[in-house]
Amino acid sequence: MQNDKKRDVIFKIENLQKWFPVKRTMSEVFSGEKRFVKAVDGVSFDIMRGEIFGLVGESGCGKTTTGKLIMKLLDPTGGKIIFNGKDSTHLDKNDLKDYRERVQMIFQDPYASMNPRFRIKDVLEEVLIIHKKGNDKKERLEMVEKALSEVRLQPPHEYMERFPHMLSGGQRQRAATARSLILNPLMIVADEPVSMIDLSTRAEILHMMKTVQRELGLTYLYITHDLSTARYFTDKIAVMYLGKIVEMGTPDEVIDNPLHPYTQALISAVCEPIAGKVNRIKEVPIKGEVPNATDIPEGCRFHTRCPYTGEVCEKGEDPLIQDDGGEHFVACFKYKNLK
Amino acid sequence: MKLSNIKDSIKNFWKEFRQVKSGIIGLILFLIFLFAVVFEPLIISFKETNNVWRDITYWEDLPRNVPPAWTNLFTSRKSAESMEIDDPEITEQQNGNLRILTSEFTYDYQSYNPPQDIIFRADGTGSPMIIIEIVRPDDEKITLFQKPVNLGSGNDVRVSMDSNSKDAVYNFLSKKVPRSELQKINKNLLAPTDYLFSVASEDFIKNREPLNGIYKIKVTSIMQNEDANISDPYIVLPGSVYGLLGTDSYKRDLWSGVVAGVKWALLIGLLTAVVSVSIGVLYGVISAYLGGWKDSLMMRIFEVFVSTPLLPVLIVLAAVFKPSIWTLIFMMCAFFWTGSVKTVRSMALQIKEETFIEASKAAGASNLRIIFKHMVPLLIPYSFASMALFIPGAIVYEASISLLGLGDATIVTWGQILSDAYNSGAILSGIWWWVVPPGLCIALMGMAFAFIGFAADKILHPKLRTR
Repeated sequence: MQNDKKRDVIFKIENLQKWFPVKRTMSEVFSGEKRFVKAVDGVSFDIMRGEIFGLVGESGCGKTTTGKLIMKLLDPTGGKIIFNGKDSTHLDKNDLKDYRERVQMIFQDPYASMNPRFRIKDVLEEVLIIHKKGNDKKERLEMVEKALSEVRLQPPHEYMERFPHMLSGGQRQRAATARSLILNPLMIVADEPVSMIDLSTRAEILHMMKTVQRELGLTYLYITHDLSTARYFTDKIAVMYLGKIVEMGTPDEVIDNPLHPYTQALISAVCEPIAGKVNRIKEVPIKGEVPNATDIPEGCRFHTRCPYTGEVCEKGEDPLIQDDGGEHFVACFKYKNLK
Repeated sequence: MKLSNIKDSIKNFWKEFRQVKSGIIGLILFLIFLFAVVFEPLIISFKETNNVWRDITYWEDLPRNVPPAWTNLFTSRKSAESMEIDDPEITEQQNGNLRILTSEFTYDYQSYNPPQDIIFRADGTGSPMIIIEIVRPDDEKITLFQKPVNLGSGNDVRVSMDSNSKDAVYNFLSKKVPRSELQKINKNLLAPTDYLFSVASEDFIKNREPLNGIYKIKVTSIMQNEDANISDPYIVLPGSVYGLLGTDSYKRDLWSGVVAGVKWALLIGLLTAVVSVSIGVLYGVISAYLGGWKDSLMMRIFEVFVSTPLLPVLIVLAAVFKPSIWTLIFMMCAFFWTGSVKTVRSMALQIKEETFIEASKAAGASNLRIIFKHMVPLLIPYSFASMALFIPGAIVYEASISLLGLGDATIVTWGQILSDAYNSGAILSGIWWWVVPPGLCIALMGMAFAFIGFAADKILHPKLRTR
């Protein structure tokens, strides 16, 4: 808040929604009843320029869908995406191409995200061809080489001729990062970039990503289910549950001082490799499974699993997200009583 | 630099291709077929085969329904090979007004099965009287033919003993065998050479024994006028075996037919397969990629083509246009492309969901780029395989069309050879040399392409085998 540069909002997400229609039974068709999987159900957050924004949640909470909505791979059902001061919710063909030049994505599975028939140089060059960068092949290959050395794949020409399956997981993810960097984007959506990578190389990749981010002044949306890497990597964390953000704040605040019962449960579930505790299975305070996204509980959507649920939680509207001060937001009716 | 790159990649491909045995077999087969196409004029015995396949008079000097010559190697009862005798002893006599020209042909008969026919051929003018006699090793002398022939101002003389000497041979028989035996044979169905080349005994009809030795065939032409003349006489003896692949019941040389059919098979197979599979793959991919109502619409159009039977369309088409191989190929392409659509569409639906498609989309790639650069190349192995399977399919379809008489009558195809065989009941009469070679060729050509396709598949996509 103190820094003016930080206040520059690059991404503003307002009440973003994505509902997938569900196949209906005959009687539902006749009664005109429509059912949806509410994968993303009113998500709002701001991402500052040069920030690493972490989106955390268990699988099925809608974090990847949010990423895809931001990447314009899906059309939102409702809400707004404002990128760089411009409403980018619905874009025509040319604007979309510009948008995609500036917003890039790193996928979870670095092998699946590269065409197995393409050599590394083809994978990277394709992006340049699409956006008509470089005058000839020679120039483009020089750019490819530069991008590969940016992600520390050295020497680049050795990797350029290889196919994705000839690289290790870490190298592949570096190459995938190079692909998203090659156009000098403003923003990168990283969807679980290290979850498929060996623990030993994870830190290395994250470190590389962070170095690149600092060097180039990038903004990241880091989507993950892994709180420990989120703490290490991000400047801000938003915790999602069933298509909504339940808590948001700086990593230290959220992880050391979780306000929402769901965040507390998530944090207590993180494994710690501490000697003597290895064989102890952690007790998680919440019970049951995540409710079906077609049938979101009334009231607070977490109340079915919340150990502190009360009358106020079970009826009416979802709790609104509110500021607890110090840039720490939480969506819970009772969080003050829980402290 | 570009050229050397291509050279390099071809070299590398070949290096790997050499490792796949089935691929080598396929390539060798394909090269043999290609060789047959290129050197066709050198390896077939009848150069005009392409134009005269349905011209019965062209083939009339060949034996009918005889097995290949090499079958003699596997039996002790040899069959007479076909031959031509064109070195007669010619003597000329002038008897008043009459000019008598005698040509004496010598035939050394040393096999078990006699030749099928004796055909006298010459050039002639006017209306000479022709007398053909045969002197057997046992000194029996039979006059086979004695008739004036009218040749006008110049014509070929062709006298076939098979059709002209039935009476003479019947008379010869009647002198040798008892009446009761003689009644057992029909004069009109009698094959003269069977008896001419057999030992004359009472058992003539039941147990024929070949009479080996030197036969003299004497052809006497008696010419009354100045203008009557006979020149260049020769005798053709269509044997009871012929050539590399024998003959069919239209007396055609099957070797020439099968070799002449290679190029049409390659053309029909390759063209139909490549065009229809390409259309089908593109259609399937585009349909799957577009999705939604466009997909549904394309599938309905596809179903119209699938449910239209091609045969009635072809019959109508044959009634309107002259049946030609090009219309047939066009129609096959227009209907066969449906064959690969469903599979391709389901494969493309799967590929469409791959992350790298999404990644490409997120990078801003256009639909065309995604379809042609990412999806179609992944379907190339499948396309190769289905092309390989379409090739025999197209050849067989052409054959079935020929069977209905809707084929192109101006060319020779394996299918037409097979359908002729079918119509003549070749399988029932055991004429395997009519059925096996074209059938085997169809199978081998299909195999060649299938092997090449699978080998290329193995090499190009070692990591994609599960896809």
